Amino acid sequence: MSTQTFLLPDVGEGLTEAEIVSWRVAPGDEVAVNDVLVEIETAKSLVELPSPFAGVVGDLLVAEGDTVEVGTAIITIASASAAPAAEVGRSEHGAPAEPEPEVAESVLVGYGTIGQVASRRRRVKDPQRQVAASVGVIAKPPIRKLARDLGVDLTAVAPTGPGGQVTREDVLQHASQASVFRNIQTPEWPEVREETIPVPAVTTPRPEAPADEVGREETIPVKGVRKATSSAMVRSAYTAPHVSVWTDVDATRTMELVKRLKASPDFADIKVSPLLIVARAVIWAVRRTPMVNAEWVDTDQGAEIRVRHYVNLGIAAATPRGLLVPNIKDAQDLNMRDLAKALEKLTLTAREGRTSPADQQGGTITITNIGVFGMDAGTPIINPGESGIIAFGTIRQKPWVVDGEVRPRFVTTVAGSFDHRVIDGDGMSRFVADVASILEEPALLLD
Amino acid sequence: MTPLDDPALVRVLAADGSVSPTPAAEPYVAAIDALTDADLEGLYRDMVVIRAFDRQATNLQRQGQLALWPPSFGQEAAQVGSARAARPQDHVFPSYREHVVARIRGVDPMDIIRVMRGLTHGGWDPTDPKNGNTHIYTLVLGSQTLHATGYAMGVAFDGLSGSGDPERDQAVIVYYGDGASSQGDVHEAMVFAASYQTPEVFFLQNNQWAISVPVSTQSRSPLYKRGEGYGIPSIQVDGNDVLASWAVTRQALDEARAGAGPRAIEAVTYRMGAHTTSDDPTKYRTSDEETAWAERDPIARMRTFLRGRGASDAFFADVDAEGQAVADDTRERTNALGTLEADSMFAHVYSEAHALIDQERQWLADYEASFDGPQEGEGA
Amino acid sequence: MTTALPFSRAINAGLRRAMAENDRVLLMGEDIGRLGGVFRVTEGLQAEFGERRVLDTPLAESGIVGTAIGLAMRGFRPVVEIQFDGFVFPAFDQITTQLAKLTNRLEGAISLPVVIRIPYGGHIGAVEHHQESPEAYFTHTPGLRVVSPSTPNDGYWMIQDAIASADPVIFLEPKAKYWMKGEVDESARALPLHASRVVRRGTDVTLVGHGAMVSTLLQAAALAESEGVSAEVVDLRSLSPVDYGPILDSVRSTGRMVYAQEAPGFTSLGSEIAATVMERCFYALEAPVLRVSGFDTPFPPAKLEGAYLPDPDRILEAVDRALAY
Repeated sequence: MSTQTFLLPDVGEGLTEAEIVSWRVAPGDEVAVNDVLVEIETAKSLVELPSPFAGVVGDLLVAEGDTVEVGTAIITIASASAAPAAEVGRSEHGAPAEPEPEVAESVLVGYGTIGQVASRRRRVKDPQRQVAASVGVIAKPPIRKLARDLGVDLTAVAPTGPGGQVTREDVLQHASQASVFRNIQTPEWPEVREETIPVPAVTTPRPEAPADEVGREETIPVKGVRKATSSAMVRSAYTAPHVSVWTDVDATRTMELVKRLKASPDFADIKVSPLLIVARAVIWAVRRTPMVNAEWVDTDQGAEIRVRHYVNLGIAAATPRGLLVPNIKDAQDLNMRDLAKALEKLTLTAREGRTSPADQQGGTITITNIGVFGMDAGTPIINPGESGIIAFGTIRQKPWVVDGEVRPRFVTTVAGSFDHRVIDGDGMSRFVADVASILEEPALLLD
Repeated sequence: MTPLDDPALVRVLAADGSVSPTPAAEPYVAAIDALTDADLEGLYRDMVVIRAFDRQATNLQRQGQLALWPPSFGQEAAQVGSARAARPQDHVFPSYREHVVARIRGVDPMDIIRVMRGLTHGGWDPTDPKNGNTHIYTLVLGSQTLHATGYAMGVAFDGLSGSGDPERDQAVIVYYGDGASSQGDVHEAMVFAASYQTPEVFFLQNNQWAISVPVSTQSRSPLYKRGEGYGIPSIQVDGNDVLASWAVTRQALDEARAGAGPRAIEAVTYRMGAHTTSDDPTKYRTSDEETAWAERDPIARMRTFLRGRGASDAFFADVDAEGQAVADDTRERTNALGTLEADSMFAHVYSEAHALIDQERQWLADYEASFDGPQEGEGA
Repeated sequence: MTTALPFSRAINAGLRRAMAENDRVLLMGEDIGRLGGVFRVTEGLQAEFGERRVLDTPLAESGIVGTAIGLAMRGFRPVVEIQFDGFVFPAFDQITTQLAKLTNRLEGAISLPVVIRIPYGGHIGAVEHHQESPEAYFTHTPGLRVVSPSTPNDGYWMIQDAIASADPVIFLEPKAKYWMKGEVDESARALPLHASRVVRRGTDVTLVGHGAMVSTLLQAAALAESEGVSAEVVDLRSLSPVDYGPILDSVRSTGRMVYAQEAPGFTSLGSEIAATVMERCFYALEAPVLRVSGFDTPFPPAKLEGAYLPDPDRILEAVDRALAY
């Protein structure tokens, strides 16, 4: 004896429910296959439902007058034998289901319209969703892919393309700059740090502090590059009276020039960035204010100022080993292309940690690019042996007055620190103003 | 309602089962008289068995096993008579209600069930010899009349009609209804058939209703008269008289196959059931009308006729038993039907390889493979 | 060895060759027999092959296609001519519900090698219904293949390949080009039926189109050249299925694409191709794929066809826009 359940079918191609009008059988009645069990009313018509099973009526599961959804069980019938054919369960997946001892459903084709889907099917592998953090950035698809491939965060890239678009070169420059000038090996607190790049503004190592409270303080011995850097800083800071001056400038024309250089076949294989223009500007400005390119030397006969008529242009570089200042020898003799190549070579060498001591000796003036850190300006410390250092800040769009109207322009700050023993305020200012004026109008380099 | 007293109507077997040929039936009497007892009993058996099958299929739909069933209930004589009149080498183009025509030609009725169960759009292979050159059902009304006409043109072009040898010459019979007869394609088919003088018989079952629309809306003139307008000789027959239906179709097919050109037959019958299981005739026709037509039932009159000729109770019991057996077998086999694999969607869109189909097939396979388990079943 | 033939003659030659090689090939259509077709594409064929193989049918498009289906079921290879694009619609039901789907409905038991030739497109100054571009209705119907030659050589070969196909093929003939002459090489087929082809090399932008539009694209490319813009032109040839290979290769190197078509743009073939190219060439795109199409109005009275149909200026306007990104 097995109990079979009849589910309300869709009798009219897409009906979803029906009203039970009248039962034609009662519990206990003997029924044959196709005997009328019940009359129902659908949206389309009155329909009699014939029994799919032979046997004895068990329970009438719904009452006359009830409106019932397609798929609802309406009646059970106990059949004498496990009539296999009539009991096949849902066979959608190919194999007829085994008749179960208690309940077997009849197969119901086109069972009403689709019900609510409760949940998604579970995926074997979760989809890699790229949540668009860079939605506000204007960048074409090839550029976005490049950025993703290089691990560059588009929101941090300074765009130089038209309409604020991030260009390929912006991404590339950012990628290479980032790896050279950014602090890349910042370990997690509270791991003990060895020779590392100083973490800006977090903790000052106090060697004498007792390390008795675990985790609250740590002690880092000063060695290697850290030691060299710190002693150089002290020597410079406490010997040369530092004065810093700065100015903001509209560098839009520099950005345009950089773009044109990048598009030029001559520069097709070289990285071109605003730093190149700053470098040329510094060289040009040095010619007009030679005193910034000098050195204060204390001798037994008294102090001397040695003015150099060549420029060994130092570029401050954050490297895996720490802060280094390699310089480009005789930068004044280099044309734009060669200067660009030299900058690129210096950058790559530093990134790879191969900067040699010779590279770092003999510098006459230095540029520190703090723009990559997002800083506008700073009061840098002069490299020992020099009298001036230029801090080149970030270039970003800001409101600027052009021809009497406020317009977005690419604005940057040129700052410098100078040894007041060697040069006075007028000289420093003129020098900084000259550098800035080149950034504003690179065509002055034609002078 | 098409009247049954048109002098042109051919009828031999009256509703009461008596043999009373109408004047128009005279030319057919001899051929009918030549039918043997076995022939006659066979016609009766065909009708009873298909009615049992048809009723079972209707029940199966009501039990949720089929999405739809268009019953042939009431039209057995027109279909059995015409189907038995066709010769083995003939080609048959049904509409979608000619279940006994398909069965007689060799199609397994389960193939029709499979269509109505949502497992296939076609059901069977017309080129498989076991299916007796029977084309699949066509659901776009009247469309098949053009296919049949084109096919018949091909028969003529091949020189396979018109030789005078009825065992060799092929003919085409196409079925359609009173509703379909309004479709433009049917008219165009008759234009082409007449123009190319195809070896073809247009067999119109006027069952009085196109769903809820009576035949009077389809035509203000008896449907058989249309053929004349195209130059196609046409006959009206009582479609509930299996003997007349047989005789008229036999002659029409033989004339067509002999090269005399196309013929048209209007078989006047009645759709005793609903249009399909989605339909409710109580909304548009009266039970009086249904009762009146029940009194003209094709099987009842044939039973009376056979009794009059001495057919035994055992014979009738045997026929009923066969009907029941076929019905039971249908139920059992329907319940055992399997399902479709999703990728069968891509199988026969084109006869030749197609890049986009291959791509989409692969996509679906990869998509399904990306899930942990199979899709929850909706209706089979 | 090539011969210079007008487009209609080239198709005529292709039909002749197909009929000579296979006697199951039949031509059917209005006025195609004695008259040789209103564009003379079937000229001489009834005289050569007889009335049993070149049928002047009654004037009933649905009837022509429906009986062609019946003949194909019987083993013939009918080539139907619909006299003008605007008159294909009475046959639309037979084409879309029957011809396109019967093989599928029959689960592969029968194939329907029917070709439906349709002169289409504008630029002939004709009255209504004679200058339509209905390709999207057919490319949108699974089960049909849709092709459109743009040169006499392609006309010659593609009609033969369409006839040889086991599938139903909608063969769109750019009627404005029927009298255009081109070199036809009867000795060697250049490309398969469903291949697209680069017809002009360039580096800055990829121009793609089909049928009569291909020569307009070539004109636009020549004008662009004089302005220093190097345009690559691709002839689609097969509208369904589309051979994306050459198009994608081109766009991956130029980064910019314009699709031009006479058909109204909304839900057009060009829209489908643009979407697919954008999906598959996303990282190579310097600009979105642009479309130049007929306006989304009924085809206007002939006096306005010049304003309606894309011309080199409209194409170059899109090129300018693409290059401005």
